[in-house]
Amino acid sequence: MKKWQVAVVMVLATLGSWFAFASTAQAKTYTIATDTTFAPFEFQAKGGKYKGIDIDILNAIAKKENINYKLKAISFGAAVQQLSANQVDGVIAGMNVTPERKQTFDFSDAYYTSGVVMAVAKDSSVKNFKDLKGKTVALKTGTAGATYAKSIESKYGFKIKYFNDSNNMYNDVKVGNSAACFEDYPVMSYGIKNGIALKIVSKQYEAGDYGFAVKKGKNAELLKKFNAGLKAIKADGQYKKIVDKYLHSSESSLTGETASSRTFVGLFTQNLGTIGNGLWMTLELTVISIILATVMGMILGVLGVMPGKLGPAISSTIIYIFRGMPLMVLAFFIYIGFPDLIGHGFKIPAFIAGMITLMLNEGAYTGAFVKGGFQAVDNGQMEAARSLGLPYWTAMRKVIMPQGIRIMIPSFINQFIITLKDTSILSVIGIVELTQTGTLIIARNFEGFKIWLMIAIIYLVIITLLTWLSNWVQRRMS
Amino acid sequence: MAKVIVKDLHKSYGDNEVLKGLNLEVEDNEVVCMIGPSGSGKSTFLRCLNDLEVPTQGQIVISGYDLSDKGTNINLVRENIGMVFQHFNLFPHLSVMQNITLAPVQLKKESKETADTTAHELLKTVGLADKADAMPNSLSGGQQQRVAIARALAMKPKIMLFDEPTSALDPEMVGDVLDVMKKLAAGGMTMIVVTHEMGFAKEVADRVVFMADGLIQESGKPDDVFDHPKSPRLQDFLNKVINV
Repeated sequence: MKKWQVAVVMVLATLGSWFAFASTAQAKTYTIATDTTFAPFEFQAKGGKYKGIDIDILNAIAKKENINYKLKAISFGAAVQQLSANQVDGVIAGMNVTPERKQTFDFSDAYYTSGVVMAVAKDSSVKNFKDLKGKTVALKTGTAGATYAKSIESKYGFKIKYFNDSNNMYNDVKVGNSAACFEDYPVMSYGIKNGIALKIVSKQYEAGDYGFAVKKGKNAELLKKFNAGLKAIKADGQYKKIVDKYLHSSESSLTGETASSRTFVGLFTQNLGTIGNGLWMTLELTVISIILATVMGMILGVLGVMPGKLGPAISSTIIYIFRGMPLMVLAFFIYIGFPDLIGHGFKIPAFIAGMITLMLNEGAYTGAFVKGGFQAVDNGQMEAARSLGLPYWTAMRKVIMPQGIRIMIPSFINQFIITLKDTSILSVIGIVELTQTGTLIIARNFEGFKIWLMIAIIYLVIITLLTWLSNWVQRRMS
Repeated sequence: MAKVIVKDLHKSYGDNEVLKGLNLEVEDNEVVCMIGPSGSGKSTFLRCLNDLEVPTQGQIVISGYDLSDKGTNINLVRENIGMVFQHFNLFPHLSVMQNITLAPVQLKKESKETADTTAHELLKTVGLADKADAMPNSLSGGQQQRVAIARALAMKPKIMLFDEPTSALDPEMVGDVLDVMKKLAAGGMTMIVVTHEMGFAKEVADRVVFMADGLIQESGKPDDVFDHPKSPRLQDFLNKVINV
């Protein structure tokens, strides 16, 4: 076997084992999803571990009731979607119990009761809802704050802007793009205590219950145990201790970060491990996806220039579909839509889903330029090769491909860089790659500018290295 | 049996009929030169002979292989037909040597070592013994065309087809290529040459075929065709070509 064949076999074998692993996940361990950026209910502490009221309550209850579980921290939206698609067994994420949600989920007894408040920039003149007329209000999708604000939108005449992430919402208000935001009281107050330059200007509205959710009609036993455990920890005082710990202390005391570590270098060294893991995930995704996309692109390209109608038709159709679909939609479809379609509790690990997403999308782009590259080789080359008696595939392999690939090299380099950057989009399905790492760190320390600058520099450095490597390969080949 | 038999050959591109019913037989060791105005279908005819163009209608039999028969292995037929193109079509990513040995080695006609030896001999024949390791782009047009001839000969073909082999060359390069072709003809190779080199046709051809409007208008010995043209179409053509 040649080297490239060995590589292909290895990649396929790895894929196979991942799938096998995914389908034989033990029955007794529940997968429970939580949000990533909802301090003090859940947030990532130094070293990548999740902390917060939800996490500690869940942990305490699990100990009391002997529940085996695996925590899966993804965005709130993804957590809810995955619960309804049966990808996870339960969600604990500061989730409000609403009549609408009760249609799809069964909720535990309320483990926390919270109200919605309005917050504005520190120096803002907005004092009440009336001042919002004609202004924009920032909301986080799926939150009680969003529901409440929506209900008074027409009454007070403001416009609404949605975010997926609390921190982005706060920043939008802080920089003045939006006049105010609506957020659950404990979350907002925790954020302000930890340095967000906003102030709360309203009382608590629409007190709502937070509940632990399972899919309607499923995991009744898990729900029962949760309720029993909740009662127990309330009775023995553990519950109060947990809530007090998070509501009455600042972030630094919980995460061990000190003020001196808030410099650029300090933040970098503090978060080196977390960032390193994210970077590693990004690189892993990039490399595997590039390999798979290149294989797929070559196949599509060869099909595209094959004699006859079938090959080119298949190639064009696949390119058309996957090039035309936004990467994010494709990621959601494969991760959430596809298992739902198959049913029977079929699950795809996020990493595999992300890899397939990138392979299909980048593979389609690669296919398009590979096809173009082959077509750019003069017709006379194929004719000369065939006239010597070489069969089509030999002519393709020995004459057309080597010349075509040379034409394609700049496009390949370009595509590699795009693939690297596109991995960041996979944070939407909960893959903790470099970009998601940034989101997580900011969710607990609110140092948006410094952390994003750090992440941006890391991307630039890798892309520079990748470009150098590519140029070196290009020089060697010519 | 004649080496090449063409019966009632038609070729159309959509509504445009390029070949309108050609009949031709070429004997072993015969050199046939095809002349005629541009667009008369000479090149299309030649390309039909090794299936680079698929005829719309008619029959082509080469060395006993019927090209229109679906059971015929076209790759096998092509091994017996060498083709030289107007634009050489050397493989630019391979050296002169690799250009020549690619097909014999890939098709397992010869071992790498034998193919190399053959290639060196062929390069000597075409006068380029010192260019074995050169890349095609570093050669002049005339040199490239001679490599292309060597490449075709490496498969030890029974017939050689030349499609305007000197049309893309600078005038001072034409002679070297024609000399190689003359040598081949003298060696007894069966050749069909589409050409505008009337001098070559006159000197080397056993038979000259004049084509116009997708049909063979006239054919015969070079002296007859060039000195005593019968059809007005040929007389007109020769007047134009010779009086340039």
